[in-house]
Amino acid sequence: MMQNILTLLAALMLWVAPASAQDGPLRIEITEGVIEPLPFAAPDFVSDSATGAEYGRRIADVIAADLSGTGLFREIQPDAFISRVTSFSSPVQFADWKAINAQALITGAVSVDDAGKLVVRFRLYDVFAGQELGQGLQLVGTQDGWRRIAHKVADQVYSRITGEDPYFDSRVVFVAESGPKDQRAKRLAIMDYDGANVSYLTDSSSIVLAPRFSPNGDRVLYTSYETGFPRIYLLQVGTAQRRVLDTQEGTMSFAPRFGPDGRTVVYSLSRGGNTDLYRMDIDSGASTRLTNAPSIETAPSFSPDGSQIVFESDRSGSPQLYIMPAGGGEAQRISFGQGRYGTPVWSPRGDLIAFTKQSKGRFHIGVMRTDGSEERLLTASFLDEGPTWSPNGRVIMFTRETQGAQGSASLYTVDITGRNLRKVPTDTGASDPSWSPLQE
Amino acid sequence: MNTGQIISGVGHLALLAVAVFGGAFRSEPLPFEVTEVTAISAEDYAALVDGPRAPEAVANVDTPDPPAAGEGTPEMTSTADAAPDLSRPDATETPPPDATPEAVDQIPVPEAEVSDEPPVLEPPQEDMAALVPEVSPRPQQRPSPRVAPEPVAPPEPDVEIDDVERQDTTPDEDAAETVEEDTQATAPEEAATEIVTEAEEADVASAAPSRSVRPRTRPARPEPSEQETATSAQPQTDESAVNDALAEALGQAGGAEEGAPSGPPLTAGEKDALRVAVQNCWNVGSLSSEALRTTVVVGVTMGEDAKPVVGSIEMISASGGNGAAAKQAFEAARRAIIRCGASGYDLPKDKYDYWRDIEMTFNPEKMRIK
Repeated sequence: MMQNILTLLAALMLWVAPASAQDGPLRIEITEGVIEPLPFAAPDFVSDSATGAEYGRRIADVIAADLSGTGLFREIQPDAFISRVTSFSSPVQFADWKAINAQALITGAVSVDDAGKLVVRFRLYDVFAGQELGQGLQLVGTQDGWRRIAHKVADQVYSRITGEDPYFDSRVVFVAESGPKDQRAKRLAIMDYDGANVSYLTDSSSIVLAPRFSPNGDRVLYTSYETGFPRIYLLQVGTAQRRVLDTQEGTMSFAPRFGPDGRTVVYSLSRGGNTDLYRMDIDSGASTRLTNAPSIETAPSFSPDGSQIVFESDRSGSPQLYIMPAGGGEAQRISFGQGRYGTPVWSPRGDLIAFTKQSKGRFHIGVMRTDGSEERLLTASFLDEGPTWSPNGRVIMFTRETQGAQGSASLYTVDITGRNLRKVPTDTGASDPSWSPLQE
Repeated sequence: MNTGQIISGVGHLALLAVAVFGGAFRSEPLPFEVTEVTAISAEDYAALVDGPRAPEAVANVDTPDPPAAGEGTPEMTSTADAAPDLSRPDATETPPPDATPEAVDQIPVPEAEVSDEPPVLEPPQEDMAALVPEVSPRPQQRPSPRVAPEPVAPPEPDVEIDDVERQDTTPDEDAAETVEEDTQATAPEEAATEIVTEAEEADVASAAPSRSVRPRTRPARPEPSEQETATSAQPQTDESAVNDALAEALGQAGGAEEGAPSGPPLTAGEKDALRVAVQNCWNVGSLSSEALRTTVVVGVTMGEDAKPVVGSIEMISASGGNGAAAKQAFEAARRAIIRCGASGYDLPKDKYDYWRDIEMTFNPEKMRIK
């Protein structure tokens, strides 16, 4: 009897065992990970000369600041290094970098050639894989342009690791503000994306507003009260020469923005208390009316392919966002949340629209899909407004103004995830930023 | 008329009167169905009848008249092609001949291995169709299906009457002792050590086809050693029988695939521990939006120290993103595997065969920016 029972049990196992047997390699699925900055090491770029060594130190610092500023990377401080990079061509001691958990390593060398040009070489390593990420690269530039070379290197590192398009080698035009709120002086200024290399494009004799870069970054449109009424001006960045766009006499024109072709401008024109959208060919000056409604239509922005325009209108009773064909036509409302929406800007990727939202006494910078879905508010403060996209569509810069009579305006950046809110360092107050495309 | 007839006539009349006037032939009204109808006029009816009529078939289709004989041939409007220009093209300078490529070292041709022994040819597979006999012979008695540890011979046949008369034997009176008869009451039931099926019965002329497709050859099983044979011949105890059954069960489980690992596989807890260890190092914070839409399957070979062999890590497949995104996603996965396996994963060493080769699917769906 006992034998029969045991035999039965054995037979049961005979039946069960193949079902639980493993067929092929062990398979597991990882569906959850961590979101944390990737640790990297950027030792000073080596050089044979004292001048080159100084540039090597500065370039390494700028690269580290660029990468750390994204919130996606974390710099390992040099005093934690075990290995010292003494030669650009020496083999990398990966074990030493693993020991300090450096997942990426950037090495480089700087030299000054006979023409006085700066020659910078760099390599990027995946430390734990023990291999190079991409190929080594050499950049040549003027010594004055060492920061751009550093941004270019950082762009390469950022792009190779994240897979995103880069954005460090870019500039920002903005309104520099100074003085108290009731007597604030405003002038156009331009700077690197990180706040360095500020230079001014206009003086403070008249109020300037809302500068906008052209698609290739060589020109700027802005609004000025130089004549007492708001008019649109076109300014050459390289020469600072400017001219007013021929809009109709006796009207107010403002909120200009370039089309993707760089030859078209869409703007608001106010006449007789009614504001509508117009489109102008810059070369010929011919303009076309895009909207014809008794409401206020303003803040237009082209889609990257130039086929559509998103704008702000109060035709429904409160400011909301609408999309219409670039040649005018029926507009479709896309914002339906509670509050007032304004200053929409189409992402360079074309998938999102950034906007300002006022709700319950607070201002927000947010993003939504182009059909109005998946609205996400990224910031909240007393006054946040005027978003502008980084060239790769990953970061938004905007104006934040603090409360009170002594309140001032500053520029901030935030990732489209809502993380990594950072203030852009500027010497003066700053507002109305417009991010340039990536420089050539 | 006698009295009886009178009484009978009166009685019948009375009975008929009762039947007629008493309601014996009264019947219930039949059920009927009411249908609503609408009265229409004759003009409406005519309009209905003359309404949509089938289209009349057109049977006679005019055939086009054939062209009249003698119609003029259309004029040829084209002109003769001009003769091709046969002028010879200008001679050009003969291009210099291509530079002779530098001779490279010839790649040695590997020597073919030639053997004098003729190849052993496998008998051809007979794929002929089987012929089924027309007449089924009578079924024959099947052997006993019983299985016993020891074979028991079938019982002796019944006594048959011999043709030769034999004398009865008498006990030897000189015998000192009387031989006791066998106390076994009955012969043991017929049994065999194994179940013999019809197919295995050699002398059963069954209805099975005389020819059939030859089964494909199998790899020869290893010959059992003499020691195993001797062991199997010995009577088994209960424990050994169970152990053998267990070993057979596990052996079959592992033997399903050539070279497959043996022993119990990893438990769910052990797999979870590995998954948690890897995901703790899977950093998706630096991945692009496109890479966060990419699922990659990464293969890795583990050393016996439970550390990943870095050179073995490869991307098996990717889905959901472009090539660049798949590359970023794979590199993040590779960093996770190497970084958290630098000191060896917590895996049971006795199950190494099960985790030597691992396929990890990195699915960032939950980590995506919503």
